[in-house]
Amino acid sequence: MTTDDTAQGGDEAEAAVAEPVDALEDTIWPSVNRALSAVDVRPERGALDLIVHVPRANVVRALRMLKQDDELQFNYLRSLTAVDNEADGVDVVYHLYSIPKNLNVTVKAMLPPDDKVLGTATTVWQAANWLERETAEMFGVRFTGHPDPRTLLMPEDMTDTFPLLKSHPFAEIELLQGELLGHDRNEGDRE
Amino acid sequence: MVTEAAPEFETQDLLINVGPQHPSTHGVFRMVLEVDGEVVKGLVPYIGYLHRGAEKLCENNDFRQGVGYMDRTEHLAAHNAELSYVMAVEALAELEVPARAQWIRMILCELNRLSSHFMFFGAFGIDVGVFGTPFIYAWRERETLIDLFEEISGDRMMYAYFRAGGLAWEVPANFKERVREVLKSSRQGVKDFDGLLTENEIFIARTKNVGSISAADAIEIGMSGSSLRASGVDMDIRKTEPYLFYDQVEFDVPLGKNGDVFDRYYVRLQEMEQSMRIIEQCLERLEDGPIMPEKMPRMLRLPEGQEVYIRTEAPRGEYGVYLVSKGGNKPWRLKVRSACLSNLQALKQMSIGQYVADAIIILGSIDIVLSEVDR
Repeated sequence: MTTDDTAQGGDEAEAAVAEPVDALEDTIWPSVNRALSAVDVRPERGALDLIVHVPRANVVRALRMLKQDDELQFNYLRSLTAVDNEADGVDVVYHLYSIPKNLNVTVKAMLPPDDKVLGTATTVWQAANWLERETAEMFGVRFTGHPDPRTLLMPEDMTDTFPLLKSHPFAEIELLQGELLGHDRNEGDRE
Repeated sequence: MVTEAAPEFETQDLLINVGPQHPSTHGVFRMVLEVDGEVVKGLVPYIGYLHRGAEKLCENNDFRQGVGYMDRTEHLAAHNAELSYVMAVEALAELEVPARAQWIRMILCELNRLSSHFMFFGAFGIDVGVFGTPFIYAWRERETLIDLFEEISGDRMMYAYFRAGGLAWEVPANFKERVREVLKSSRQGVKDFDGLLTENEIFIARTKNVGSISAADAIEIGMSGSSLRASGVDMDIRKTEPYLFYDQVEFDVPLGKNGDVFDRYYVRLQEMEQSMRIIEQCLERLEDGPIMPEKMPRMLRLPEGQEVYIRTEAPRGEYGVYLVSKGGNKPWRLKVRSACLSNLQALKQMSIGQYVADAIIILGSIDIVLSEVDR
């Protein structure tokens, strides 16, 4: 068992090393790389769209470059959200679309768990306004320079609880009932 | 000789609270209007009254159970909401969906677009001030569609009929005849609406050049669906990034010009005709066959470290599902991109400078579903 696992892990690691520049020739990576040449970015093949990892200090700059590039014209912000990776921090994820060119790209910025601060994208698209408010209240990400940093879906005074973080308990009552019954609801999933 | 009013006679702006429980707000939505006489000078929307944490719920339940939560996010077009979700799971699990299941999905999604747009006409008619006839006409047509959905899935609104891989069970034997019957009645319904409202002078006076938004602004704010196309932006995901078999059927994408309330109404009316055109082609192509893949795993587990963002053209715009998997039988992260949330952001810009009464029809013309906005 263990030998199999390590062998597989090894293969995957090798594949990951071999992948970079070659394998992405069929995607829009060459154009994105050219548009973002001033920024240190790392590409990744997604199931559907190209994913670009951008250091958080350069995110807003990179987004603006993608929007203003003549060849790409990412003028539409489809979605903006975050993913809590626990110890690995919080990823803020932007899904961009170019209406004139019919292209998609996903931009990701990693924030360390103890310093979740990022520049606001509202200066690039107005669409980011409510989406950032939602991301802020759900994940505790602070978007500096946001024009209207209130809560969106949560109560106005609920500024210290971030429901979509993995550390936030799910359905506390059920957990409590489970404890009283001596039943661990996560037991079944681990097998 | 007219002199300037003395300072003590200066008018003051008035704040009006509308909602959260109000017939004109289409659900639990609150807005505070700042008015100068009858003209809106400011608008602050408040949402979140219907927030149920659908995303968190999905992250704590397995992939089969998520379908049910999707119904509840978008209860007026639940087939379309389910579709984005099951497509996201299928994309990561690399499931091959049989052709029959795809055609049936397409038919149901387009039928759902019809029922959702009928709902819009009924509610919108009330907003404009013609209570009675259009509302009852719309409900009559919507009822025939919902009866059909009930025959297929067993439920009027929360269908939970799509599964990752295909469909829950086979459609009734008389499916094709029933769909044709319903189409006939819907076609008459659309005709009736066209006759009742489109050239009605009062309706035009209330809706033309009201709440306009330019194409550039609509894109900037992230609007989608009919509300975006009313401003003349040719963006229909069924055309630009075809899913299911939308690339194998013929249909047009109706566009508006002015992006006003009338255009948002008229684009939807024309869209219904296109939907019926699509359904007729689907019925011709629909053949017998399996509705689930042959090798369907009993327990769905997705590969680790994969993610996908699936977008589909729901009646209200782009309904997106962002699914991140870290292995196991639950999504690590599931984000629902709500079309109405993004469309609603434009309400402020559309309403400023308009009359208070028009702010109500502008809200109606965006066709929001608050349960989808809040999730």
